[in-house]
Amino acid sequence: MSGGSSSRLSRKRPSGRKALLATLMLLVAVASAFPLVWMVLSSLKTPAESMQVPPVWIPHTPSLDAYEKVSGVVNVGRSMWNSLVIASVTTAGILITSMMAGYAFAKYHFPAKSLLFSVLIATMFLPPIVTLIPLYRLVGSIGLNASLAGIIVPNLANAFGIFLMRQFIAGVPDDLIDAARMDGASELLILFKIVAPSVAPAIAALALFAFVYHWNSYLWPLTVLQGNADAYPIVISLSRLLSYNRGAVNTGLVMAGATLAVLPPLILFVLLQRFFVDSIVGSAIKG
Amino acid sequence: MSFAWTSKLALAAGLAILPATAWAQSVNISYLTHWSPETVALLEAAAKDYAKTNPDVSVTVRAVPFGDLLTTLRSQGGGSDGPTIGGIYDLWLPELARDKLVAPAPDAVASEVKASWPAGITSAASVGGTLYGIPNEIDVYALNYNKALFKQAGIAAPPKTWDEFKDAAKKLTNKEAGQQGFGMINSWAAGVVHPFASLLVSNGGELVKDGKPALDSPQATQTFQLYEDLIKSGASVPAMATADANTTGPFLDNFVSGKTGMIIMANWWESALKTGMGSKFADIATAPIPVGPSGDKPHSISYSWMTVVNANAGAAEQKAAWDFLAWLNNPKSGKNGASAMSDILMSMGILPSRLSDIDAHKDKLGSEFLSGYVSVLTDAKPFPVVPGGQEFSESLQQTIEALQYGQVSAKDAQATAQADATAILERAAK
Amino acid sequence: MIQRYRASAGIMLAPAVTLIGIFILLPMLLTVWLSFQDWSTQTPFSSASFIGLDNCREIFGASSVGRDFKVALINTAIYTALSVILILPLSVAFGLMVYQHDVAGGTALRTVLFSTYMVPMIAVALVWSKLYSPSEGPLNQMLGLIGIGPQPFLSSPRSALISIVFLNVWQQVGYFTVLAIAGLTQIPGSLYEAAKLDGANRFEQFRFITLPLMRRTLLFSAVIAIINAVQVFEPVALITQGGPVGSTNVLTYHIRRVGIERAQGGLGSAMAVMLMLSLIVVVCALFALANRKDRE
Repeated sequence: MSGGSSSRLSRKRPSGRKALLATLMLLVAVASAFPLVWMVLSSLKTPAESMQVPPVWIPHTPSLDAYEKVSGVVNVGRSMWNSLVIASVTTAGILITSMMAGYAFAKYHFPAKSLLFSVLIATMFLPPIVTLIPLYRLVGSIGLNASLAGIIVPNLANAFGIFLMRQFIAGVPDDLIDAARMDGASELLILFKIVAPSVAPAIAALALFAFVYHWNSYLWPLTVLQGNADAYPIVISLSRLLSYNRGAVNTGLVMAGATLAVLPPLILFVLLQRFFVDSIVGSAIKG
Repeated sequence: MSFAWTSKLALAAGLAILPATAWAQSVNISYLTHWSPETVALLEAAAKDYAKTNPDVSVTVRAVPFGDLLTTLRSQGGGSDGPTIGGIYDLWLPELARDKLVAPAPDAVASEVKASWPAGITSAASVGGTLYGIPNEIDVYALNYNKALFKQAGIAAPPKTWDEFKDAAKKLTNKEAGQQGFGMINSWAAGVVHPFASLLVSNGGELVKDGKPALDSPQATQTFQLYEDLIKSGASVPAMATADANTTGPFLDNFVSGKTGMIIMANWWESALKTGMGSKFADIATAPIPVGPSGDKPHSISYSWMTVVNANAGAAEQKAAWDFLAWLNNPKSGKNGASAMSDILMSMGILPSRLSDIDAHKDKLGSEFLSGYVSVLTDAKPFPVVPGGQEFSESLQQTIEALQYGQVSAKDAQATAQADATAILERAAK
Repeated sequence: MIQRYRASAGIMLAPAVTLIGIFILLPMLLTVWLSFQDWSTQTPFSSASFIGLDNCREIFGASSVGRDFKVALINTAIYTALSVILILPLSVAFGLMVYQHDVAGGTALRTVLFSTYMVPMIAVALVWSKLYSPSEGPLNQMLGLIGIGPQPFLSSPRSALISIVFLNVWQQVGYFTVLAIAGLTQIPGSLYEAAKLDGANRFEQFRFITLPLMRRTLLFSAVIAIINAVQVFEPVALITQGGPVGSTNVLTYHIRRVGIERAQGGLGSAMAVMLMLSLIVVVCALFALANRKDRE
């Protein structure tokens, strides 16, 4: 409904709306970041300051003591390396298996497709705590206990990833795929060279989710590793600092360790930024 | 095949056939613990010490965070790849013994334990009269109070009876300043149940008598009533009592910051208090639990930890495990007649339970804070170690918390607690 | 041609289906079997003895087991409903905020939002239990500035569960925002240009282009949000331990307590099967609703 009257209002509205939008965005950013800032500030406080009522917001003499100490008490480098191995290998596996299966569910027709898909989705319904012990015994019987492989192998495929890929690959136009087929391309080639780029944001999202989830994964690695502290990922090593009566004393160390532990996923996120582009790419493919 | 090849093959075959016992047999045992990295380092040092005189045994420490220890124990499933030695809370023993996952202690170990430890602790480490491990840590509860706040409120001495206790709590309560007289604890089973139980036994009551819950006794009625009175009068504020991640939270912060006058807590929170209060820690003192109208003298609740041996480990491993444990808890393994285990415990501010260890460490145990705890040790009553004990404790926790938050009256709380406890212990005994 | 695709389907599906079949489906079936057994968790599976529906009867019965299970079920349902109602609209709103070009800073906002998901749970637990300190904690201090009295948050049975919901929303909204953005990128810009030429304002563009074309993404997000919420474990295990007075006792935490810590494996498995069945019902209802809307 364009018209003269609305154009006068619309000259005022954009700047007003922009200001409102900017304020909202700032509020959201501050609300989200506040606990994170608290975490970093806590890593600079003394343990006594952490226990004060009313609480201390800004440490009186911020110090990096906690960062020094945490490396002396747990092997931060080693733990982060373990986390990196677990997260990267699992993510690579999830990306490949999810893309392949998601493509099949999105673009192929085969008998019992709906049934198989429903069963796969249903596997997401049981919380990991429930299948912990049966899975632990199963992995033990294959001989994978007490190793990083035991952590990684059961997680190499994931119904969430398949579901996500299927939802997004379904939106890729069929003519694109058919054209490639007529050119004689193999299915795997089509999947990785043609379909994948057009769902790049979803793949980046899945990579990010899988990496962060397995970077922070706690219960399964703990169970499989059978107490071998050298192989612990960083999240378990940090939890050990709170064991028994050390909770109050070691809070700052945990905050420091957690601040360090956030860095690798954050770096990955920054690296994957360019995949979250807008739909210009999408519409260009459509032509 | 050339001659060189064949002769090498023959040599290799010959070596392979030689009996393995020509060399020393190496036994590998593992020790599962919940201790933090600093403490595990001490345990590993002790294991290295042991290896000097026992080179054919290697001890690996398996460390899991405290909150996951029970889950880890239950997941092992009685396999032989489970840890050879486990440090467990004595409340977990009955189910482990019932499922034949822990081995009874050999006679030599059993007789030494019976001779060197107090009878109550030995019984807490036994099921049906059979000893299943070596006790190490003992934890006991005492009344902690803030001397500075006492002085402010004009209270001369820590309360000895419940009447004095209620009186002191009222005097120490100052709503405008956000100060409460007596701090309770919630959201943490041990923190809720143990202080309550300490007051109950100081009132002549019992939690469990002859295997049956005794929460319907008149002594228990008075204890539930005490709690209701404290809450209703505002001397205890439940919102100030919350615990998180078990050993930290508002209940600790408030006491450290001088917002709570008195609280009943265990000895091991000394390091948290020292860290949080700095020089003000000198304001804290400990005293026996106040005695109730039906009680004769102060009693405290105690609970203990012990080490057990995996019944499904190999025979050589089990023997090596018992030998190592006997050495670890022996007065010769540590400094100045203390055992290595007690040295490790004392480094965490935790009380050892072996009589010779208490003697060997009497300097440190004589500090103002700890001596209050040591003095209540002899009259402490162990928390009942019965099948279903864990579930019993958690259900009692729920009821007491409901009482704290005014959701039920003292009478109803008592009825519910007794009914639930009876059902739970009956089912577990089957 | 169809033969070729069937073979291709087989190859495409094989890795995922095999892995999931062995490592997830098998333990799941084992759990269902265990729900009919009397089994102590710390013993081998061979020691389980068949007791039929006794476990089910007990968890719905009148004893403390049944009471606690009912409370856990209700808590989980409330927690799930609140989480989903809050997260889904917020994620779309934040997604739009990040995605638009009028005001700069969308990328920075996205980074901040997602970084909340990256923090290890142990640190989240410690920080939030400090923020939620009753009487004079940081959040209460800020509420005091705008004239609201101190809230008990985690320290009262009435507010503890909602406090955990807010914590969860804070932690996960960035994750769902990224999902929403991925969905937004699939909408061709040409559609918006055409609509603008037709004179549609922003609100109409949102209602008639954005929302319908995000339907697939939104359904996905809803299912995932529900599953995540039902499976909440770590905030409860690390902060409230199910309290106070069982107000934050959720199903997964209760299953760990009963099934693992108390070694009552049969009961724990029965509870897990109930959880799974309720999830199946809810998700099927969601899909049915979505399909009906598709047909309209």
